[in-house]
Amino acid sequence: MAWSAPIYVYLWLAGMAGGSYFAAFLVERFAGANNRGLSRLATQMGVFPALAGVFLLIIDLGNPTRFWHLLTQFDVFSAMSMGTWILLAWVMIAITMSILYWTEAHPSESTTRLMQGISVGLGWLELALSVLLLTYTGVLLATSNRALWASSVLLPPLFVASAVSTGIAILVTYVLVVAQLTVTHRAEYKVPIRQLTGSTEWLIPMRTIGRLWEAEAIVIMLELIVLIGLVTWLGVSPLAGAREALNELAFGTLAVPFWVGVVLLASIIPLSFDVLSPGKELERKGVLTAILSSSSCVLAGALFLRAVIVVGGQL
Amino acid sequence: MPKARLIDVSKCIACRACQVACKQWNNLEAMPTEQSGTYENPPQLTASTWIKVEFRERPNEWLFRAHTCMHCTDAGCEQVCPTGAISHRGEVVYIDQDWCVGCGYCVQACPFQVPHKDEVSGTARKCTFCIDRITNGQQPACVKTCPPNAIQFGERDDLLNTAQQRVQTLVMNYGYRSAQVYGEKELGGLHTLYVLTDSPAVFGLPEEPKVATTLVGTQWLSGVVAAGVIAILPFWLLFRRRNNQNHEVNSGTGGR
Repeated sequence: MAWSAPIYVYLWLAGMAGGSYFAAFLVERFAGANNRGLSRLATQMGVFPALAGVFLLIIDLGNPTRFWHLLTQFDVFSAMSMGTWILLAWVMIAITMSILYWTEAHPSESTTRLMQGISVGLGWLELALSVLLLTYTGVLLATSNRALWASSVLLPPLFVASAVSTGIAILVTYVLVVAQLTVTHRAEYKVPIRQLTGSTEWLIPMRTIGRLWEAEAIVIMLELIVLIGLVTWLGVSPLAGAREALNELAFGTLAVPFWVGVVLLASIIPLSFDVLSPGKELERKGVLTAILSSSSCVLAGALFLRAVIVVGGQL
Repeated sequence: MPKARLIDVSKCIACRACQVACKQWNNLEAMPTEQSGTYENPPQLTASTWIKVEFRERPNEWLFRAHTCMHCTDAGCEQVCPTGAISHRGEVVYIDQDWCVGCGYCVQACPFQVPHKDEVSGTARKCTFCIDRITNGQQPACVKTCPPNAIQFGERDDLLNTAQQRVQTLVMNYGYRSAQVYGEKELGGLHTLYVLTDSPAVFGLPEEPKVATTLVGTQWLSGVVAAGVIAILPFWLLFRRRNNQNHEVNSGTGGR
């Protein structure tokens, strides 16, 4: 098997990085500047899974010391070539934006306006790169001759939806667990990135976390619809190997991880938490537990999804 | 004029001399295998087995086909290679062993399951069409050694004529009504051609092989459209709709 654990973990991490930025940037754009802390958190936090993904990608190469050969070619027909450049640009911009946040802690009149302008431009560019990064993880597999991956055009949408739900899940989990659970006002969480960057304090409204969870449920439903579409497509596809691939996935050696890991963990259980939760306000008893349980299932389920698809395509 | 190799399955006796000659000329190591019930051996192409005779059994008949690189004109492996290590050298699809990073993308892209990743060299490897021999006026090792002349080498157009005549003979004289030439048009024209006694599927060949990147634009578009739908459905609807309420609740609380 040419592609194994390092590849599907890498796809999961890259999706997580791009998905969290995608979600946080849109929240800031649509809900207003009081959510700026969330997009900044996503920018800085995303660098770590992205770099971990790059590391996995390199060690999975047969000749890791030759990884720089990937940077000698820009080929729009090769998803791996495009993905290399997209990932590189995404990480570089995320690091640049993180440095800009840091410089805001030490403002000077001459630089502030320029810095803000650059920061806004980079933010939009990073959004475009995030969309391409999420899409690329699906296109990489879809442009192959493996029936499971290439029989339809639904693998990129599936991976995009899964990456966004994963991105939301990691953001929510980080804010609720890793960030200090000090509620500075009744309505805001304080995120301790401040200690790392020296920038001014970042606050994330509590209501945003509740709404992100709502958004996650909708994304999961979309993901489930695309998954059903993919399975149906494989079932009716006239292409050689498509039905065999579906049988292997649903009833063969991958049946347990598919039904338990992908269908239950990534879709049904998180949606059940959403339906059964006593509300969306974090102050209410049980909501916090429901959100964290749901997000944990989403994170694990997304890894199962990539593992099942990557392995299943090569059987 | 491009050169090609013609494999006539109706003449193949499965002696596997091609396998031995290939390993010998290219200095490829043997691998320990197990008896699988026939003389078919080893079980599949690998990074060190670049041609392999496949056995298929039907009532009163054995079907043999030498499986090796097709040296496609539109080669999927070449299209997806992210470093440019795979390129055409004349009709030969060649993997530059000094430049290949061993990413394995060509392994996933080939419709004939030909390239394999070598754990020792860390590179993808496959048939080179004996490029060192043919550029010096010789035949590939598998052709040179084939006792029944089931594998031929020459000008592609000449071999296509030979193949068509052989197919006519098989249909008219031997009753192989589904006999056909494989590789004339597939993937822009293959440089390993086949005379088959039955449909390609019977011999484990794809009826309509496609280049892996055929739908690359559509695949990108589908992902971007999905991202657009997600941006609108949950995010725009949930966060924009309540924007005003948000300002009321969090009056004056900046996120900085």
